[in-house]
Amino acid sequence: MRLHKIFLGAALLFALAGSALAQASKNPHVDLKETRLANGLRIVTVEDHNAPVIAVNVTYNVGSRNEKRGRTGFAHLFEHMMFQGSENVGKSEHFILVLNNGGNMNGTTNEDRTNYFEALPANQLELALFLEADRMRSLAVTQENLDNQRNAVQEERRIGLDNAAYGKSGEIQQELMYDNFAYKHDTIGSMDDLNAASVADVQAFFKMYYAPNNAVLTVVGDFKTADALATIRKYFDAIARQPDPPAVDMTEPEQTAERRKSVDDVLARAARVAIAYKTVPGNTADFYALQVLGNILGSGGSSRLNQKLTREKELVTNANSAAQETRGVGGFYVTATPRRGVKTEDVEAAVYEEIARLQKEPIADWELQKAKSGARRNFINGLQSSLSRANTIGQYSVYYGDPNLINTRLDKVMAVTKEDVQRVANKYLVATNRTVVITVPKAPAGRTVGGQQ
Amino acid sequence: MRNKIMKAKALIAIVCIAAFASAVCAQQGGTAGQNPTSTKGAVVKGKAPVNKNLLTVKLPKEQEATLKNGLHVVLLESNHMLPIFSMEMVVISGGFSDPADMRGLANMTALLMREGTAKHNSRELGEALDTIGASFGANSGVSSFTSNITASGLTDNLDQILDLYAEIIRTPKYPTEEVERYKSRTLDSQPQLRANPGFLAQERLAQAIYGTHPASLTFAPPEAIKKITAADLMRFHDQNYVPNNATLYIAGDVTLKQMMPKLEKLFGDWKQGDVKQPTLPPVPAQAETKIHLINRPGSVQTVFQIGSLSLERTSPDYVAMRVMNQILGTGPPSRLFLNIREDKGYTYSVGSTFNALRYPGLFTAQSPVRTDVTEGTIREFMNEFKRIRDEKVTPAELDNAKHAIIGNFALSLENPTGRLNNIIQQKMYGLPANYWDTYPQKVQAITAEDVQRVAQKYVDINHMQIVAVGDASKTRAVLAKFGSVQEYDGDGKPVRTASAGGQ
Repeated sequence: MRLHKIFLGAALLFALAGSALAQASKNPHVDLKETRLANGLRIVTVEDHNAPVIAVNVTYNVGSRNEKRGRTGFAHLFEHMMFQGSENVGKSEHFILVLNNGGNMNGTTNEDRTNYFEALPANQLELALFLEADRMRSLAVTQENLDNQRNAVQEERRIGLDNAAYGKSGEIQQELMYDNFAYKHDTIGSMDDLNAASVADVQAFFKMYYAPNNAVLTVVGDFKTADALATIRKYFDAIARQPDPPAVDMTEPEQTAERRKSVDDVLARAARVAIAYKTVPGNTADFYALQVLGNILGSGGSSRLNQKLTREKELVTNANSAAQETRGVGGFYVTATPRRGVKTEDVEAAVYEEIARLQKEPIADWELQKAKSGARRNFINGLQSSLSRANTIGQYSVYYGDPNLINTRLDKVMAVTKEDVQRVANKYLVATNRTVVITVPKAPAGRTVGGQQ
Repeated sequence: MRNKIMKAKALIAIVCIAAFASAVCAQQGGTAGQNPTSTKGAVVKGKAPVNKNLLTVKLPKEQEATLKNGLHVVLLESNHMLPIFSMEMVVISGGFSDPADMRGLANMTALLMREGTAKHNSRELGEALDTIGASFGANSGVSSFTSNITASGLTDNLDQILDLYAEIIRTPKYPTEEVERYKSRTLDSQPQLRANPGFLAQERLAQAIYGTHPASLTFAPPEAIKKITAADLMRFHDQNYVPNNATLYIAGDVTLKQMMPKLEKLFGDWKQGDVKQPTLPPVPAQAETKIHLINRPGSVQTVFQIGSLSLERTSPDYVAMRVMNQILGTGPPSRLFLNIREDKGYTYSVGSTFNALRYPGLFTAQSPVRTDVTEGTIREFMNEFKRIRDEKVTPAELDNAKHAIIGNFALSLENPTGRLNNIIQQKMYGLPANYWDTYPQKVQAITAEDVQRVAQKYVDINHMQIVAVGDASKTRAVLAKFGSVQEYDGDGKPVRTASAGGQ
């Protein structure tokens, strides 16, 4: 599963903001206030006068996990439609107004949620709230706009999957590893399913999922809370509540045997080994231990995979690992690219040897310290901009019903022990629980480079 | 692997900027996008409540000091709300200082600096930095005048980070074993690079524009990598990494008063040296418009990079070029996006960029499109190039572009690192000291005539180099309608002679 967003954007650091970040303790604190409207809309506000900036995030409790067979990719295609106009906002006008007033915006979809966000000069708070409310209330859909965005999304799929080396391998691994359909397909969806999506599908999806009682609105920045809440009420109060969407069955049967596939790839020029283990939902003790484990095994120059496989044994050009955070059963992923002439079997064996070492011996003190220092650094970096805070709060609210996790999460990482890391290595990183996809570079048949015209 | 990254561009603020304190506002209060209009790919109803007042911000001002050995220090304090800082040392020697047969020497000198010092080996350095959550990076582009060494982290660990930073910069040892490892690993990973159509396009475009000029290289050639030894790296380092050839830029939760004694201790006895600055030949005369087709069998898209020569950073046309490019190809409100994505539905991503250097950089328009709209896309690119050259932009477009640029500029100032990058640019190119303070006024002064003038000069349709990476069997015939086509294989080698164009 990948994250898909409406626009391609360069990642930049955000403004340094944060008067809401009390300096009393060593770790900054985000002072947030929760409110709920009668129509069920949950609101989180963070007042912060440190920079003349406001950020607005609306996170809807819907992602590709809600999709049905035959309509994969729909949650993300729908996200594109949210920029195609509503009663008082024309096609594309949303992003034109935000960007031409010095702001920044995007929309993104993953398996577990869909979010929309913008940051603007502080005096444009009303504009941002108006734009979000208008499309929550009155999305306008036409066949022409749907066809146009279908094309954009299909191109997005080609960039990430169909025209990219190893692109299909990721999709195949996901389909192989999961049994429950919720995560058994990529968020981008199949070409056939995207072609099948209709205007009626868009309208039904909007009615079911884009209701105030299925969303969280987070507003962070330079405003007075009472004023902001008054403006929020002005635009959002009248939006009608809808019946709550049906709950998603996220049950994932336990895996009992290794799954394996080999994929021929005409675009790849080197083989690749991709190993995935099924794990646990995010924000659990085991998840945080797996996150630490992922860092120690395969993140950065001092990681074990880099030190052993890349540098010492010279088996791979690169290798890494990470634990993925999801609301349902997550994954722990290891990826390695063998060097020329090295067999994928030998690379796999070397990865398993490193995993076995983590299962038998406790990690070193400095390794645990490294994972925790990295987590603290990431936490503090994530507080820099009001937009990053708004996005994080929106995500935690929809994932776990806990906006304050932005303040308590670091402590949960700090609580991870060496024993926890060894325990989760033994519990999850076992052969019967893994899905292995080997990519084999293959020249396209019947083509000769530079042949006759 | 799934991403969980929030990507987003810069933020905020319609602003006027003035030096340090009181803001001087020289803008009219025009309202972007408020007239009900319809354009390709967009309908503007004009009903949304846009605040017409302009916000003002104060620019934080940098402080400067110089050590006795000539190491210049520029420091920008944050508002001290978060305990983080970052540093960048800019050494005024880069890939352009490489000997002709060793392009990649400056690049490897920077990249391998952390692979062992007088006191620590590669592994120990990595562990020490990672344990305290510090980041370290060093790089020098093959076509660049500088080598840049960055570090960042929490101010809790300021002293440890500074110690390691100075140790790596001043006493790298380039152990032979590490150098050889790096060389063989890098040579082995080149096929992976060549699987990426964007890489192939960029490599070809630079060669098409710069020809035999040193700037035509985008990465170190394999034969140079093979040739470079540990002794070469050591020599390049010792000749170029000297305090009188470097500036240290710092931003974050630190003060100059606090930093100077530490820097004196760590860098004070660093010996000066004589550094030879490279001279570049002039950029060659530009060839007629031509199509460069890189065959990538199995490709389901055609990846376009279309370019011509742009300008030098110090050119008086720079700000007009910035405004022109905003209207033509910067972000979703731009003409290229609204036409090729929102109206035609040919692509997910389309836009144009330009870079401005000590020598003329590139103007580049880019888009990956599905193979069957290759012809339509190239036609629309050419239509937009002609339109911005032949017709004046509308007052609304001009006004919107100015708002967006000034707002975006102000936003980057809120982040001390972004602001610091502007300061680095001002110093590197010798721009006036008040350059950024007066930037909004410079942008505001641009007229529709200025935009058209720079479009006619730099969106150079008679010398446009059109690079397309895709399946040649499906695209060579349609591309030939737009000019002569030279075909290349995935290794960048010409595979056929140019054929005459159609139209």
